[in-house]
Amino acid sequence: MTLYRKAFAVAVAGAVASVSLAACGGGGSSDDSNTLQYISFRPAEHFDPQRVYIGRDISNLGRLAYRSLVANPVTTDVAKSTELIPDLATDTGTVTDGGKTWEFTLKDGVKWEDGKDITCDDLKYGVSRTFATSVITGGPNYILGYLDIPVTKNAEGQEVSQYEGPYTGKGQALFDKAVTCEGKTITYHFKKAFPDFGLAIAALRAFDPYRQDKDQGEKSNFAVFSSGPYKLDGLWKSGKGGTFVKNTAWDPATDTIRKQNVDKIVFTEGLTDETVTARMIADRGTDKNAITDRNILAASYSKITGAVADRATLNDSPYVFYLLPNFKRVTNPQVREALKYSTDVTGWITAQGGDKAYRPAESIIASTLVGAQPNPAFQDMNDVEKAKQLLRDSGATLPYPINYTYNSSPTADKAAAALKAGWEAAGFKVTLDPLADTYYDVINKKNSKSDVVIAGWGADWPSIGTVLPPLFDGRLNLQGSDTNGNDYGNYNSPVVNGLFDKAAAEATVEGQAGVYTEADVQLGKDVAYIPIGVQQFYLLHGSNVDTYIQNPATSMFPDLGDISLK
Amino acid sequence: MAPTELDLTAHDGSMLGDSHGAGEVESGASVAGRSPRQLAVARFRKDRGSMIALSIVLFVVVMGILAPFLVKLGVLDPYSLNPDLVDPTNGSLPTGDHGGISADHWLGVEPGTGRDLLSRLILGITYSLFIALTASLLTVIIGVVLGIVSGARGGRVDALIGRVIDMTLSFPQTLMLLALSGGFIVLLVDAGVPAGNPAKGLYVILVLALFGWPVFARLVRGQVLTLREREFIDAARVLGASKRRIYFKEMLPNLWAPILVYFTLTMPAYVSAEAALSYLGVGITAPTPTLGNILTDSANYAESDFVYFFFPALFIAIIVISFNLLGDGLRDALDPKSDQ
Repeated sequence: MTLYRKAFAVAVAGAVASVSLAACGGGGSSDDSNTLQYISFRPAEHFDPQRVYIGRDISNLGRLAYRSLVANPVTTDVAKSTELIPDLATDTGTVTDGGKTWEFTLKDGVKWEDGKDITCDDLKYGVSRTFATSVITGGPNYILGYLDIPVTKNAEGQEVSQYEGPYTGKGQALFDKAVTCEGKTITYHFKKAFPDFGLAIAALRAFDPYRQDKDQGEKSNFAVFSSGPYKLDGLWKSGKGGTFVKNTAWDPATDTIRKQNVDKIVFTEGLTDETVTARMIADRGTDKNAITDRNILAASYSKITGAVADRATLNDSPYVFYLLPNFKRVTNPQVREALKYSTDVTGWITAQGGDKAYRPAESIIASTLVGAQPNPAFQDMNDVEKAKQLLRDSGATLPYPINYTYNSSPTADKAAAALKAGWEAAGFKVTLDPLADTYYDVINKKNSKSDVVIAGWGADWPSIGTVLPPLFDGRLNLQGSDTNGNDYGNYNSPVVNGLFDKAAAEATVEGQAGVYTEADVQLGKDVAYIPIGVQQFYLLHGSNVDTYIQNPATSMFPDLGDISLK
Repeated sequence: MAPTELDLTAHDGSMLGDSHGAGEVESGASVAGRSPRQLAVARFRKDRGSMIALSIVLFVVVMGILAPFLVKLGVLDPYSLNPDLVDPTNGSLPTGDHGGISADHWLGVEPGTGRDLLSRLILGITYSLFIALTASLLTVIIGVVLGIVSGARGGRVDALIGRVIDMTLSFPQTLMLLALSGGFIVLLVDAGVPAGNPAKGLYVILVLALFGWPVFARLVRGQVLTLREREFIDAARVLGASKRRIYFKEMLPNLWAPILVYFTLTMPAYVSAEAALSYLGVGITAPTPTLGNILTDSANYAESDFVYFFFPALFIAIIVISFNLLGDGLRDALDPKSDQ
């Protein structure tokens, strides 16, 4: 979930890491026979439920240690995956006041790892932490905009909540009015309709309960105080990993989603992608019990044959990659159209390893989201002749010079060469601008010299409202003095903004999706973006791993809810 | 040979192109006189290994010089994509055996894009050699100037330069290179260097030179310490020659041998340094090919497309080995004593 920027940075770091093609299997002792291994490159950044924002970690924590009011089932079925199942709550919530008031009642017998009951106050305290924006950083902060708490202007003129979180306690009374507890029943009062609140609870960890006496603020970043079937054994070593063991206080009778099939789950992070791929292919020793979130490297696709292929899975990831014309620089709509028609999607995909790396995207909206529709503007894109004609008609001097900024890696360099070739065939003159270290912090400058940039995005929960407005609502993104937020193309359209407002007023997720689809059509007409590929997850799992599932609800990462070993 | 060899050692030890040696004085002897330079050339010619190395080096350098023109003429085509030559259902590896070797693509094609590997390697030589050559030149220039000044001046200047050398040598070079790259490249761009590959290339050149000169400066200083006590230097001093004249007109010509040898040994070190840096993410990026960035990409394919990995590695190996052999041969020819 979340914006792809973090994963993006990692792709580069992966290329930087050392060669270890011949890295060998894990070894390990035999008493680990019921221990699941999770091997990865990417280090976790936060385990704090209110701070975690990496899709993989949100998913893993949700299945292992953090229970939510409602959760998604363990399934591979796209439609089923967005269903909500009562988890800590007795039902999926009662919505009143046109989506503005949500009410949940806690189950009996749900406990923390120390055996104490999970209370309504724990839930309330969890949500309150997000308001402490100077301590609880990095996490999703949707709740700030939704909860019915008055805002005020800060010194920089930005609107901030009058509640400052539990650490200072300033504005606590306002929060206590917006979130109320009555026995086991918690009520959330929103200032606008939040029909997808249930989806958000299930998809993020930000609305999960937190025990006040366990809160050490910043120091709790890697602390896990479990309510689920597994708990952290000892400390998490950032960059290395940690071990989760069974949580005896968890009562399976209260939990219809998670299972406690394996004894332990050992996480190892900080391995190179080369090592992960080599170990997963070799399938030796404890690696037979291993799973990973890291894609097989394209260079190794040809080795995925025979018995290895039986352990490989290929799925759409939640991440859609797209190109953005910079509306401050490429102002002529015909030039943007020409860009669209001359974008060599096939070449771009081939350069990165072909059909197991990406598949063509039909919209920036992933097909797994509620109400997703292909965008008609991006159906027959590859048409160089049309692009040439459009460029000629645009009246611009040819060749038309453009700067293409992208995040460099050997693979990305090849992919950029493919785009360049396509655009130049249509009459553009392309200057490639590969960036090595920082990427998003360069392209999110309003006055950037880029004409076209590339970005990737995954929805925070399966609602289009977590894709289009964060990326294209100029009012949200362009209010800063020099940054364009996530709107790297500086796109701002009153028509589209109006549709966003209309969608936000709808009382159902499906109703919102209909309006958002209209907005997407308009974005396509304006060539606000050019979808270029749905990233694929081409993952291997060890030969001993059983009931292995990749779930749209766990961002297509391995679902640890019911995983077991043979 | 023996008498002349004695002559050589008699005047200044090992120096080629000696402008103050006693060669002319000796030329009256009954044996046909040969200058130290001629002697060195003769010795070098007798060494078959060095001659082979020299011819390879010359060939590589000529290819490096010609490559950009061959690209213009269309003989080499390092940039055109041939997506039809790779298989997107098989990790975009080249279709056909042996990395897609064919009559049109003698060394096969690059996975992913189908670009011609031979063309990219030959143009890669141009960029890699340019970086290595410029960095070596800078290294030698800085090293020579500071080495001479340090050795000839002595005293405080010597001590100061000596400490700077110690400091520079004590830096973890590779780490610094990586850590500094981001900010330093921005500085270069702000200073007017075109962003992108020119700035990145310049950064690599500068840093290689900045961390490379101290060893050479020490070597030169040692030579200068013996030189400065020599009669011709005293003579020049007595005649009132300026310091600058003494350094660069009197001493420098006697340093050509170590300079030449060090230069030929630094070149291959920098060719492989460029490759290593490229692997670590510093340096010129594709589509502009360098041996380093081609090898970086191909290392991923060591198992799945061995041909693509083999040829870049082979090219680098051949260049590094032949430059090293050439350097060794030059040293043997110019300073026969050093073997003992």
